[in-house]
Amino acid sequence: MLFDIIHDTTYKYEEGVTFCHNIAILKPKDILGQKLDSYELNITPEPASFSERTDYFGNTITRFSIQSYHKELKVIAKSKVNRSFEKERQIESDDKAKALTLNEVCELLKGVDDAVLDARQYQLESVLINKIDDKIKAYAEESFQQDRSVYEASYELMQRIYDDFEFNTEVTNVATPISEVIKNKKGVCQDFAQIAIACLRSVNLPARYVSGYIETLPPPGEEKLIGTDASHAWFSVFIPTFGWVDFDPTNNQKPKNQHIVVAWGRDYYDVAPLKGVLFSSGKSELTVSVDIRPDPSENTLLNLNQQQQQQQQ
Amino acid sequence: MNLDSNDIFKGYGDDLKGYDELINTDLKINENWTRLLDNVQSIGAEELDQLQSEIDWLMAENGVTYNVYNDPNGLNRPWQLNAIPFMIHEKEWNVIEKGIQQRAELLNLILKDIYGERKLIKDKIVPPEVFYEHRGFLRQCDQITYTTAKNLLIYSAEISRGPDGRMWIVNDRTQAPSGMGYALENRFATSRIASDLFQDIHVKQPSSFFSDFNKMLVQAAPSNVENPNIVILTPGPHNETYFEHAYLANLLGYPLVKGNDLLVRDGFVWMKSLQGLKKVDVILRRVDDVFVDPLELKEDSFLGVAGLLEVVRNNNITVVNPVGSGIIENSGLVPFMNAICNYFFDEDLMLPQIASWWCGQEKERKHVLKNIKKYVVKRIDRSNRESLYFCEFLSEDEIDILKAEIVKNPYRFVAQEKISFSSAPNYSEKNIEPRKVVCRTFSVAKDSGYSVMPGGLVRVASERKELRVSNQRGGVSKDFWVISDKKQENIQQYTWNNSKGLKAIDMNDLPSNMAENLFWSGRYLGRAVVTSRFLRTALSSINNQQYNTRKSDSEVLTLLFKAVTNITSTFPGFIGEGSEEVLKNPLKELQSLILDRDRIGSLAQTLESFNNSYYTLRNLWSKDMWRVFDSIKKLWSPYDKSKKYSVQGLIKLLDKTISRLIAFMGLIEESIMVDQGLLVYFIGLQMEQASMNIAKSRSLIVFNYEEQLNYEVLEALLNSHESLNIYRYSYQSYLGLENVVKLLILDKSYAKSLCYQFNRIKKDIYRLPIPEKEEGLIECKSKITKAFELINNIDAEELLVLNTENTFRENFEATLSELSDLLHETAILMSSTYFDHSFQQTQMVQQKIEI
Repeated sequence: MLFDIIHDTTYKYEEGVTFCHNIAILKPKDILGQKLDSYELNITPEPASFSERTDYFGNTITRFSIQSYHKELKVIAKSKVNRSFEKERQIESDDKAKALTLNEVCELLKGVDDAVLDARQYQLESVLINKIDDKIKAYAEESFQQDRSVYEASYELMQRIYDDFEFNTEVTNVATPISEVIKNKKGVCQDFAQIAIACLRSVNLPARYVSGYIETLPPPGEEKLIGTDASHAWFSVFIPTFGWVDFDPTNNQKPKNQHIVVAWGRDYYDVAPLKGVLFSSGKSELTVSVDIRPDPSENTLLNLNQQQQQQQQ
Repeated sequence: MNLDSNDIFKGYGDDLKGYDELINTDLKINENWTRLLDNVQSIGAEELDQLQSEIDWLMAENGVTYNVYNDPNGLNRPWQLNAIPFMIHEKEWNVIEKGIQQRAELLNLILKDIYGERKLIKDKIVPPEVFYEHRGFLRQCDQITYTTAKNLLIYSAEISRGPDGRMWIVNDRTQAPSGMGYALENRFATSRIASDLFQDIHVKQPSSFFSDFNKMLVQAAPSNVENPNIVILTPGPHNETYFEHAYLANLLGYPLVKGNDLLVRDGFVWMKSLQGLKKVDVILRRVDDVFVDPLELKEDSFLGVAGLLEVVRNNNITVVNPVGSGIIENSGLVPFMNAICNYFFDEDLMLPQIASWWCGQEKERKHVLKNIKKYVVKRIDRSNRESLYFCEFLSEDEIDILKAEIVKNPYRFVAQEKISFSSAPNYSEKNIEPRKVVCRTFSVAKDSGYSVMPGGLVRVASERKELRVSNQRGGVSKDFWVISDKKQENIQQYTWNNSKGLKAIDMNDLPSNMAENLFWSGRYLGRAVVTSRFLRTALSSINNQQYNTRKSDSEVLTLLFKAVTNITSTFPGFIGEGSEEVLKNPLKELQSLILDRDRIGSLAQTLESFNNSYYTLRNLWSKDMWRVFDSIKKLWSPYDKSKKYSVQGLIKLLDKTISRLIAFMGLIEESIMVDQGLLVYFIGLQMEQASMNIAKSRSLIVFNYEEQLNYEVLEALLNSHESLNIYRYSYQSYLGLENVVKLLILDKSYAKSLCYQFNRIKKDIYRLPIPEKEEGLIECKSKITKAFELINNIDAEELLVLNTENTFRENFEATLSELSDLLHETAILMSSTYFDHSFQQTQMVQQKIEI
């Protein structure tokens, strides 16, 4: 499936900004099952410096600075992504990996091949997923038992979060601690992903955070998916001998063609789409909108899909 | 030799436990110390006590301080240096030095590897969690390569003597190690005062180390930079070792800057100086890793420079030590160090380390959990102030909590054997007694290896029985002597300051923060002097009143009191609502205006503001300045606003304050160069004095009084202006308004006249560096020129014309008001041109994330 994605972020500054330094992680990945056909990033005003690099996690980081006085910053990322998840290896067809129990996985994680060594850091607490408490562990242990398949338990964890947690954009923000989310059982995709990751780590499984986009309008006859704000997020668990397996607890399904991957990291902190330091004294207003349309050249019959969300802070 | 024959050391060995530096296990005196013992014996107990007091005095005099967090005394706790040094013979030191060099090389390779190939992990030398679980592992620094030969440029090893008599590594400090400045100041102090102790003892000097240190900084500059611009980045005056930051800036001759003095632009780091932006090549930082770049690291840090890390990545600046070096301050590495050493060098570690068990390994964890009470447990990345558990002192409950924590996050903890380190002689209350010591050593990268300072900084436990040694707890320090059998050169000041490649800082390069502080120092100092003198005049008038019963006396008093409120802007005071009550007991209000530091406009508050802005400039201080500064603080310390003081008592305080402030002003003029920013100070000082003189005149002499009252007002005005004698000399006549105005306002050559002050401000502003954007300065110049032209062309007679009711001099008031406005506008323009901090650094996304 071919998608056109326009991710538009606008900051309006009451007092104007003399200059700013920014970091953006907006470029969709070019990986097996997801081909990035084109990508451009339009920034106004024109940045004085601009560079791109691959970070520690393998995400593309764009850095730019604006040195002229401005009252509005606009960052528009336009991508054309060709998604074909069938090309990815599917754990469903790897019976051995699918059957690995928690016990067996933990044993395999003591190994030292490169993939395992790298995965081991995702067993640990991270900037936003820290102080994993007993409540989270207890929630995890309802699904995870020593001799139960990790794949099965992860699937169930995804379903339980979908059932137990209420999707609500009013109660949390990026810095809401996981201990609060597990208590209130309300939040957005980012919270659900992080809760799932905390659960997996509480039973010593490597789990990472995946950020990206989701197409929310389905083909006729299928259920509508829920997206939160600009970006979507879900989680991934590492199963030795196989690799990373993604789950979307917000929509209770394994990501397929409607999920587009931008970045992965230990938690949201590693993959925030846009952040910056600026020099100003006034308030700012943020507007984010994401527009995902199946490319008409390929899907002429599908309705246009457009979603606009606004968020103010 | 026997200790009993030495009076001062009597009782030293009475309850010795563990290894002692002075007394060997066979109860013989360590012969390295005999000469010092003899020297101590020959100067005698009295003299030694005297010597210690002199050292204390010198340290206080020189303003050597160490700030202790959460200490009610706040800033400026005097640094304590014990008269008795710590000693090691060169022969032993050479072995230690080699061991430190080996460890520095090793840590350098670990640092390079962990942000590079990570072979230590891939080749299974170190489990990955030793790094991954350490908060100092900054993924943002991954794969950065440097132009310097070494990644680790400064290394500080803490060493202590273990029970086996060898020196052990206790800690590694690699982010921004502090202490070398204190070590040097300790050496200066002992050399200056305790030369009798040095008699026939040859102590190695750190001069060549500091020369190497400077060379390292110069060579650290990105390639192709010849005369590099080097700055020292400090978190600011509230940091515990701010003294040292200022001290090193002074010693090495580099600007001391705070984060907001620097900015990233066009791919480089720039310093905001008076003239504009100046490119920076090397940052010697005293700010911890995560604080240096709010863009990529700790987002709410105000101590760093946004975008710095990207400039580092592109090799357009060198940060010393590199950002991310905190990862090797890692006690989780200890159990693997020997294996790492063999991996890289095919040899064993030379210096022993404390036996440690990293809880990330199953066998080790089980062992620790079983024997936990024997151990000291800490986080592998503990900073100084958290998560250090002396398990033997913990309750059962606390042990259980700790154990659960270890089981939950095993990779995070390391258990270390509890070691009783050696004790060394320490002078304490007329006795010499054994105290535990820890030595901090310093190394810097040099050509192909590391240069180690001979000696270092020795810290002493605060109690005889105390096991822990830490400056945070207010410990004592010692000079560290590496003694040689050969004669050594005496320490020389500034020998490392080889002129090659170094140039003095000129005013163009003055960091704008420092310039702003100089400006405000001038303003506060001016305000303090004028306020003190005026308050003194008011108090003296109260004093005179009791010998006088004339009506006009109480009138003149009322006028003076009202003027006090006016010039200090402490309304309502003697003027606004409730002033009648206040006027009934004027002493209470005057005392409050002197002593109440919570009151804005009071003298105490002005002095405190002066104190604060001046303290941030301490790299410009001369020792004489510190002494006078300190004497003002001492003078004020016994005064308490809740007590009642007599008029005489308050006058005495003001007298002393004024003479010390004047002495201080004199010292500033002779100790700071115009190019160092004296000009900016002068502008601040003159502006404040001028504006207060205008305020005085406006509240006292624009009104018309009857003759007697007029006389008394003029006398008080001249008095408060310290100009009565000059007036008599100049006019030799009865006090008359026109002559007073001619002297205090219009005189062109009298330094205290308003006209002269305006002229001086104008001249100084014209000497300021021309900034990149010149408009602000041009406008500033035009305002002050207008003000000067105005005052310079005044006709006295016309100025003093009375209104039709004969009560008020409208022209005079209008002129003063215009002068006051122009002066105010000039000050604002100057601030916005040169000290523009109005735009605050903020986060685009406001969030509180702790990393």
